[in-house]
Amino acid sequence: MTKPNIIEIRGLTKDYPLGKTTVHALRGIDLNIEAGTITSIIGPSGSGKTTLLNIIGCIDTASSGAVQVAGKEITGLSDRKITDLRLHTIGFIFQTFNLIPVLDVLENVEFPLLLMKKQSAAEIRKRAERLVEAVGLKEHSRHRPAELSGGQRQRVAIARALVTNPSIVLADEPTANLDSETGAQILELMREMNRQEGTTFIFSTHDSNILKYAKSITRLKDGRIDGGQKAQKVPARKRSKA
Amino acid sequence: MRLILKIAWRNLLRHKGKSLVIGGILFLGALLMTVGNGVISGMDRGIEQNVVNGFVGDILVISDKQKSDNVLIDMMGSLIEPIANYPQIKPVLAGLPNVESFLPVGKNMGMALSDDPNAQPGYIFLLGVDFGVYRRMFPDNMSAQEGRLLEPGEPGILVPKHAREQFYNFTNRWIVPEGCSLVEDNLSKDAKENRADLLTMDSVVMMGMNVENSSTDVRFPVKGIIKYRALDTILGHFCITDIESYRECMGYFSASAQKIPVAKDNQNILAMQDSNLDALFASDNLMVDNNRPMVPTPGAAAAASAPLTGQDIESGVYNLVFVKLKNHGLQAQTLQDLNRALAEAKTGARAISWKKAFGVIGSMTTLIKGALTLFVGFLFVVAIIIIINTLTMAAMERVPEIGMMRAVGAQKRFIRAMFFGETGMLAAVFGGAGLLLGALTVNVITLMHITTTNDFVQLLYGGDTFRPLLRWGDLLVIVVEIGLVTLIAALYPVRVASQIKPLDAIARD
Repeated sequence: MTKPNIIEIRGLTKDYPLGKTTVHALRGIDLNIEAGTITSIIGPSGSGKTTLLNIIGCIDTASSGAVQVAGKEITGLSDRKITDLRLHTIGFIFQTFNLIPVLDVLENVEFPLLLMKKQSAAEIRKRAERLVEAVGLKEHSRHRPAELSGGQRQRVAIARALVTNPSIVLADEPTANLDSETGAQILELMREMNRQEGTTFIFSTHDSNILKYAKSITRLKDGRIDGGQKAQKVPARKRSKA
Repeated sequence: MRLILKIAWRNLLRHKGKSLVIGGILFLGALLMTVGNGVISGMDRGIEQNVVNGFVGDILVISDKQKSDNVLIDMMGSLIEPIANYPQIKPVLAGLPNVESFLPVGKNMGMALSDDPNAQPGYIFLLGVDFGVYRRMFPDNMSAQEGRLLEPGEPGILVPKHAREQFYNFTNRWIVPEGCSLVEDNLSKDAKENRADLLTMDSVVMMGMNVENSSTDVRFPVKGIIKYRALDTILGHFCITDIESYRECMGYFSASAQKIPVAKDNQNILAMQDSNLDALFASDNLMVDNNRPMVPTPGAAAAASAPLTGQDIESGVYNLVFVKLKNHGLQAQTLQDLNRALAEAKTGARAISWKKAFGVIGSMTTLIKGALTLFVGFLFVVAIIIIINTLTMAAMERVPEIGMMRAVGAQKRFIRAMFFGETGMLAAVFGGAGLLLGALTVNVITLMHITTTNDFVQLLYGGDTFRPLLRWGDLLVIVVEIGLVTLIAALYPVRVASQIKPLDAIARD
């Protein structure tokens, strides 16, 4: 049975002015991503992976085209509604995205839940502690970001992205700063969430280990989807071997 | 809110340098404003208390014809219009519930004359009073430095220290009160330099002037050299004389003159106004009969020699009425009531506040307050610029952090609240500390009970004791000002911070 699309993109272009010239970062993308899948977006540097991820994550805007995220057309939405969509629907894991330096690990993870104001302080604390434990930082829960290594910070960012139980998690090179063992643990955690909660994961990566987890792979080249502009299905047996 | 305050507080601690710069400015501003306001309020209260309780009261009644309200310290020497109907004004004043006491006085300038042909005559302020009533209204406002004070009803003059120096400059004679010997220590610098040739006098001759420019020379025996308890720099220009001598000097009807019966024909002539003076020459029956013998009016000598009663004295001419109130706080309302009552009674007089009567001296605290406000305003403008600059830099340095907050779902209002929270905390902590230290300083100064006999310092103190005063209103104004400075200074940086987009954070990385 076909699952509904959580992402629907039609004719998406993104142009950047660069001096007197214009850089065409995306040149007409058509893409559907099913809800509850793990999708990898791959391609060489400058192919438009990060730009596509940013537009899907509602932190960048399209030059033209239509983008639907979780059933909402995001082009033309007000800043307030876009921010709400990010808070309630999307989780971000960026390669070097900063944590709040004045909050400790637990408080950083709690941050999106506190913004949502849906749960009591005790419930928020409980959920944050569970996620911190899941990413292996229980002993560091009272440490501030400056007291953590790069990998530990990335794990905090992952816990923060997952704490709101979002429908979509966007991850730009999520395991780039992690050792292979921690990276594998994180990926397992994501797969677990994907199975249990039906969370959709969209990765931009070069890591072949991540590709093993992906249900589909979208290959970008020069701002276009390489190979007929269609999501490339990863063979089921290949995934099961991973 | 708790989250915002937590982040704001920790950010302040994280950026200690910037926090100290901004906080330091707010601290200094609050401290300066508090101490400055305390000093000025104290000065204001000091001048008010000393002038109101020691010199003129809260309100002055002047003639309706009086053009300038500055009736006490007018350096141009304008003459003060006479009030000839005090008995009509008196019941009006007595009928007002907030009026505690009142005193009619004569006030004008007299020219100090000298028998020295090289002298340069000059003008001296004269205050003519019924000294007994004056002392009841202002019991402790002066002390005799040499000689003694006037006895009630006694003719004579009391000369303050400053006025004695003026007399010396105008007459080349150093005043020594009647029956006293020269006190070397009290000589002015000029008198000391001229000690070998110094001539003294125990009376002064004053030529008074009135609105008709007629004049009378009167010799006033000097009974004492006085010093006003406070504000002697300002008040020490006023010589106190008995009211009858003052009237004689100014060419006013004195009480003793009014006791002399005047024939009906002469009363008609005296009652004539300027416009009717021509009638003198058009009517035979008013012409002087040269054949009639010049004899005194029957009973005149006996009437003139009888002792004057208070009622007699009050029937003469004055220039002002000093009015002291029971509740000083109701001055504005009482002024309004008094003016209405004076108009209804057709007294031809009106009431003004002591501040108006003192001209620039009355407005001195307002002027100094204005100057301080300007200075602090300038300081705050500089502070605003520095704070804007520092906070904007802080916002730019925190693009990744703020962009990330926005990316995970923080609305612009959250970012705004966070920045306002930070600046608000700085204002509360440092501004509050400045205000508290300022208030403490003001209170400690007051407790130290600093006194001075120096005239200029007395002017700054508003009296002989330095008593800075902080009113709740002043504190509220300072709090509002600090809040306003913080708000204005935070507006632009907050705008910059709230405009940061998640993408800016990524682009920065």
